[in-house]
Amino acid sequence: MSTDPQPPLTAAETPGGTGPLDAFLHALRRRTEAAPHPTPLPDRSNAALRAVRPAEELAARFAAEATAAGCVVHRVTEANWLAAAKDIVGSLSARLVLVQPQPGTALTAERAAALADALATAGRSAVSKWDDDTLFNCDAAVTGVVAAIAETGTLVCVSGPAAARGASLIPPVHIALLDRTQIVGDLFDYFDRLANTGSPANINLITGPSKTADIEGILITGVHGPGVVHVLLLE
Amino acid sequence: MSRTGDLRARIAAATTDRRVVNAVHLAAWRKVDARAESFAKLPHVEALRDKAAQIRQHVIENLPRYLECFVERATALGAQVHFAPDGAAACRTIAQIAAARGLSLAVKGKSMTSEEIGLNVALEATGVRVVETDLGEFIVQIDHDRPSHIITPIIHKDRRQVARAMAREFGCPYTEDPAELTKIARRHLRDIFRRCDLGITGVNLGVAETGTLCLITNEGNGRMTITRPRVHVALLGIDKIVPRLTDLPIFLKLLARSSTGQPMGAYTTLINGPKRPDDPDGPGELHVVLLDNGRSDILTGPLREVLRCVRCGACLNACPAYRNIGGHAYSSVYPGPIGSLLSPLLYGHAYDDLARVSSLCGACRLACPVQIDIPELLVRLRALACTRQPRAKRVLLRLWQWAMQTPWAYRLGQRLMRFLPDDGGGWTRHGPGLLRAWTDTRDLPCPAVRSFRSIWENELRDEH
Repeated sequence: MSTDPQPPLTAAETPGGTGPLDAFLHALRRRTEAAPHPTPLPDRSNAALRAVRPAEELAARFAAEATAAGCVVHRVTEANWLAAAKDIVGSLSARLVLVQPQPGTALTAERAAALADALATAGRSAVSKWDDDTLFNCDAAVTGVVAAIAETGTLVCVSGPAAARGASLIPPVHIALLDRTQIVGDLFDYFDRLANTGSPANINLITGPSKTADIEGILITGVHGPGVVHVLLLE
Repeated sequence: MSRTGDLRARIAAATTDRRVVNAVHLAAWRKVDARAESFAKLPHVEALRDKAAQIRQHVIENLPRYLECFVERATALGAQVHFAPDGAAACRTIAQIAAARGLSLAVKGKSMTSEEIGLNVALEATGVRVVETDLGEFIVQIDHDRPSHIITPIIHKDRRQVARAMAREFGCPYTEDPAELTKIARRHLRDIFRRCDLGITGVNLGVAETGTLCLITNEGNGRMTITRPRVHVALLGIDKIVPRLTDLPIFLKLLARSSTGQPMGAYTTLINGPKRPDDPDGPGELHVVLLDNGRSDILTGPLREVLRCVRCGACLNACPAYRNIGGHAYSSVYPGPIGSLLSPLLYGHAYDDLARVSSLCGACRLACPVQIDIPELLVRLRALACTRQPRAKRVLLRLWQWAMQTPWAYRLGQRLMRFLPDDGGGWTRHGPGLLRAWTDTRDLPCPAVRSFRSIWENELRDEH
């Protein structure tokens, strides 16, 4: 960490215009100065603590962990992902589907357009807008993800110019398109990467469907977020 | 928070309903098992706990510079950071934020810190409607109850009590099916989420180097609370900081496993300031209210290690005392072993009695992901509380200390011990006089007919 302690000031000496927060921090620094601080900050690297071996087959591990967390994982190819997506929507008897392409994800504008066409021919309406009526009334949302974590079966969705936070949250079913090259091994790997890139305003690590066990410890899915999460894993 | 009755009376009251006691017992054990099972599958658990403990200890020893850094970075991301020296100031700050923007419908994510400062009551008094959105907290709110566990607020309620509360509040057909009950809450809260204008949450951890807020939830209500309203207020205890973004995954690996046995909570959200101009949704304003409320006093005191706590709740489940008396007997927002430490430190000496609600068995220390030595701290707290005992008790303890160090008084004491009644099997179960209070909850073995001293004097000494 870079910040070196500045010369201590009393609250009365803090420069004019600074608020109670600065006064508090100055006072706190003065009060804690005398206290011992023998504990060093541990090394930044967490390599020795990894749960996933570098050699591990990431797609298989991700699929297993995501399934354990309650996701439905479909392993698909470029040739059949569209048919798989259509089948899922069909099985839900979903009428209105929000399709949200996003740069940096496997759901490119082209794929989104192809999916919208395929859904339209099957008698469903696909929309790509995120007003309240759409978010609260659509039956499912299809999004891309920016990464996935094999260790825990986690999907990573981020906010952005064309990516509503509500899309992976408000509709009852979330269908996520994931390319296998997007999977990182360990939670540590994802955060190492995040620390070296600019961060969007909102990052969601999604592990399985929305759930609660508040009543007698009984697991119920689909409280406020999606009760069903489908992952189309593109190999 | 006002407290009723003395410890003994509260425990008696809390344990009269055997159904509640059994429910808590069962639910807590289930969590202990789930925790053990999930940790068994995680490699390097002890090394992770070591590192987590060291990071948190380092932060509390160097808090001013990390806080300063956090404030600077969060502000650079567009958050407005406020400081509240105590709970009343935090409530005032949040009420002012609401009033200045004409906000009238607040949704809340589950936050023990907001319970600590009594935020709901304070906000409602200024005309803001506050709706708890975590299922457990929602039920607590409609049933005018109090949470009895920091992770599982209605661990003390069974489905029948939940069913009655729902039917009464919403006039819906009576059902005891947890899935149906959850649906009723979902339907009701959906409408609220569409209309709300203020979202209030706690924070699991703030990251100093980036100004990031980390929030972990399972139901999605937390995400709704920070997505739907136009203003998000995050209440952050000054102690809940980690230095670096790369420190977060260490805590993520430990936290959900410790709380519920899940490898990860369903939703781990990282917040970097308010919504960006191009973002289609999200709050336009993010306020971080940094709360001291006694934490800086703990920081400079002899029990500062307690501030490592990340509120996972594992020590509650692990504690035989908690499992048998439930959370309400503590009569504090923070029950269980960690609550027995935090409550007197945050709320003052009226809570000193909680340091005695422990057999010092050490299960809490083993469960703690940041290795807080809770039994050791409880003993230190007891010692500190000793100086505040009633005069009569202090005189008695002084007398005891003197007798134990004075041979003739010690011998006399041993003689007197022989007059203790044998209530069967060589145990004194009902002591006379002052001893009564002690033997009410413990049995005292009767002394041997001949003391070691007399055997030594008469038989053994000559042989050496």
